[in-house]
Amino acid sequence: MIKRNWRFMLYACMLGLLLALVACSGDDKSKSDKSGDKKAAKNSEQVFSIEDFNVEKKNEGEAIDGGHFKYGIVTDTAFEGLLNFNFYSGEHDDEIIKWFDESLLAADKNHNLTQDGAATFEVDDSGKVFTFKIRDNVNWHDGKPVTAEDWAFAYEVIGDPDYTGVRYGEDFTIIEGMEEYHSGKADSISGIEVVDDKTLKITYKKASPSLLSGGIWSYALPKHIFKDIPVAKMAESPEVREKPIGFGPFKVESITPGEAVVLTKNEDYWQGKPKLDKVTVKVVNPKTVVQALKTGKVDTVDKFPTDQYPDNANMSNVEFLGNVDMAYSYIGFKLGTWDKKEKEVKPDPNKKMADVNLRKAMWHAIDNEAVGKQFYNGLRWNATTLIPPSHPNFHDKENSGLAYDPEKAKKILDEAGYKDVNNDGMRENPDGEELVINFASMSGGDTAEPVANYYIQAWKEVGLDVQLLDGRLHEFNSFYDRVGNTGEDDPKIDVYMAGWGVATDVNPAGLYGRDALFNYSRYASEENDKLLAEGASEKAMDQKYRQKVYKEWQQLMIEEVPVIPTHYRAVVVPVNNRVLNYTVEYYGLKRHEIAVTQEEPIKAE
Amino acid sequence: MWKFIVRRLLITMPQIILLSVLVFIMAQMMPGDALSGLIDPNIDPAAMEEQREKLGLNDPWYEQYADWITAALQGDLGQSFRFKMPVEELISQRLVNTFWLSLVTLIFTYIIAIPLGIISGRYNDTLRDQLISGYTYIGFATPLFIFALVMLWLFGYTLGWFPTGGSVEPGLDPGSFAYIMSKFNHLLLPAISMALITTVNTVQYLRSEIIDTKQKDFIITARAKGAPESRVYNKHILRNSLLPIAAYFGFEITGLIGGTVFIETIYSYPGMGLLFMESVLQRDYSVVTSVVLLFGIASVLGALLSDIILSLVDPRIRIK
Repeated sequence: MIKRNWRFMLYACMLGLLLALVACSGDDKSKSDKSGDKKAAKNSEQVFSIEDFNVEKKNEGEAIDGGHFKYGIVTDTAFEGLLNFNFYSGEHDDEIIKWFDESLLAADKNHNLTQDGAATFEVDDSGKVFTFKIRDNVNWHDGKPVTAEDWAFAYEVIGDPDYTGVRYGEDFTIIEGMEEYHSGKADSISGIEVVDDKTLKITYKKASPSLLSGGIWSYALPKHIFKDIPVAKMAESPEVREKPIGFGPFKVESITPGEAVVLTKNEDYWQGKPKLDKVTVKVVNPKTVVQALKTGKVDTVDKFPTDQYPDNANMSNVEFLGNVDMAYSYIGFKLGTWDKKEKEVKPDPNKKMADVNLRKAMWHAIDNEAVGKQFYNGLRWNATTLIPPSHPNFHDKENSGLAYDPEKAKKILDEAGYKDVNNDGMRENPDGEELVINFASMSGGDTAEPVANYYIQAWKEVGLDVQLLDGRLHEFNSFYDRVGNTGEDDPKIDVYMAGWGVATDVNPAGLYGRDALFNYSRYASEENDKLLAEGASEKAMDQKYRQKVYKEWQQLMIEEVPVIPTHYRAVVVPVNNRVLNYTVEYYGLKRHEIAVTQEEPIKAE
Repeated sequence: MWKFIVRRLLITMPQIILLSVLVFIMAQMMPGDALSGLIDPNIDPAAMEEQREKLGLNDPWYEQYADWITAALQGDLGQSFRFKMPVEELISQRLVNTFWLSLVTLIFTYIIAIPLGIISGRYNDTLRDQLISGYTYIGFATPLFIFALVMLWLFGYTLGWFPTGGSVEPGLDPGSFAYIMSKFNHLLLPAISMALITTVNTVQYLRSEIIDTKQKDFIITARAKGAPESRVYNKHILRNSLLPIAAYFGFEITGLIGGTVFIETIYSYPGMGLLFMESVLQRDYSVVTSVVLLFGIASVLGALLSDIILSLVDPRIRIK
């Protein structure tokens, strides 16, 4: 009996070790590569730049008829298998759904709606009433036409109180009558009208530029299939999990739960017959993705782990494409708390970080460009503002943020009264009290710890005593719990380092608004409220005006420094040389046009 | 006999209940919940809060436990938040994979252990025995997860003899011959990796049993009667030495559970072990508690099985 207990203890320890090992296995590999190959050794110190990547694949060679395309999703977990836009929540499911279903509305690389999709739209003069017309040749995979009824049905399901997904939010409450419907006071949504088979009219409570950039739910749900399933049971139904349908270029043929989906071409696709015969979408472990690419087990993947890029930049059978990720890393300062009752941010002028000069000095003290080069080989680079260049219309190129200048940082601190009065080498606050700043950072990946240590070191250089919260890094979930994911912020945290993915709509109110729970820095000011409201107002439907507002907002965030934007990121995607018409441009990939030049993927030499 | 089994089962019940409480409390103590991984500006925090309320994640743990255990006793293990499907369905999907993986591993374990143990015991202290013992010591010292990684790298990647992940080649018709072969092919490498490590216990057991039995009086008698050496070994020694090995079988199952967690994670083999790891990392509580409970039950039953076999094969052992 005792022996058995020890076995379990042993396994528990081994499990811990395994996690540690998995975390560093990528690193081990790069080391062994280095010793064996001098070229690779040079590469891993090389600095890359997003400028040098193409967005579109070079087309070389003649396409063959048909072909079997293999698409990898890089993840170490199984995909969830909720294969419908209206029910999924994991990004991996999304990568699969895109192959067989699509949005009714198309968008351009600036994330603005266009008239090129399966439906066109018109806005009336008030900006509140949208009329959508679905094209005549858009049909579900079972041959039934996609109707306005199907589209309205998606709204009815998501708005239903029994709906089990996470999509019911501002995109929906902004529709007239939606909240009444959601709370059960109304049987139908007054703002949604099915005009005829192919025409849908939606009335919004107010006009907003967000509607034109991702604020409209554009995914239909086939009513003829789902109408008899109770809403609460839809997500688990076989219609979602086992035989999902859409109106995209490929049809689902078979699903191996959690592992792979095989699709065949949809002859009846509204934009024309797809060039490929067959597509396999499968999960590829990040530890083995390089081998899978080299041996042609996959043609391309959704996102290549950028930390493995330097060692594989010369992979001979693929071309690496790159684009700016819709994300940024940042360092936030805690400036208040979350008022749970009012559901809004409560700024606190007595917070340790409340002095804007201290925050500015901390920005000047750190060299983000060097961090990007040293730790990320240039695949992350110095961020300047809080709107990343993935939104080229709104990212203010001229604004260069606050530059790395430790001397200036010292000067600012001196002037603001942060002086070393007890000669311990560290500055005290203006009242002469010890100033110890607690810095929270997430664990994960090889670089988390050295990067956090770099920042602490850089702040020490200018005389600020910054300590890692609890002396260690924190696991993702507990990190966000303490930073404020539940609204109960840990008062011990003064500074934290995190990242955001940004939505297609540029509106930053969800991350920096007064009523945004995700506003973890708990910063709020009237000027900020005003600009955010302006940016989402009816007037801002004029893009020029909206650009002006967000330019001012980016500048305001630099003057007030509630958070320091630290890095923008690159997405790197390797594509096999046999593939034609591939791109990583946002919304640019036309899946029905992808073709291949030979039957099997080209293998690395 | 039946009395004994019933009594043992009755003792196990409180163990399992205690286990379920512990597991549940520990799951609750983990920071974050199934929704906290979804920090995404595209998702309204209010929508998440609504889901939390609906899922009862805001209730105190004892209420959640009471809800869970009453449902579990009726065979309803709840709903996986992440997969949005009943846990029992999810588990049954994965359990099949783990069952075959464990079975093949067990078969390999004995295929390796029995000949090696016999050779090692029969020719003890010769070069052959030393080689085999050397292997078992290395096996004892090598952590399974490192060994599995090395095997994956060597046979999966460098030589390319085996597939490197998943449980089956996508796109094959379930039930067809190609499908079954593909499944077998996918579990071969993980099973061999695990068997090569877990087998060393059994080799050592068998070896010492044989050496022990060799000196027993009845063997000397058999030899004195002029029985040929092969008969002495195959009939007299081996039979007696295999008894403890049979008894060890139940514990072997317990060991496999721990092993599959590593093996499945390394080989991305979608079985119970991988499901367990994923669910812990993603805070899919209902799945974590159910899987751990099942693991617990399997261990307890494994131990019970061992006791039963032991008392069957060795009439001197009777637990009162």
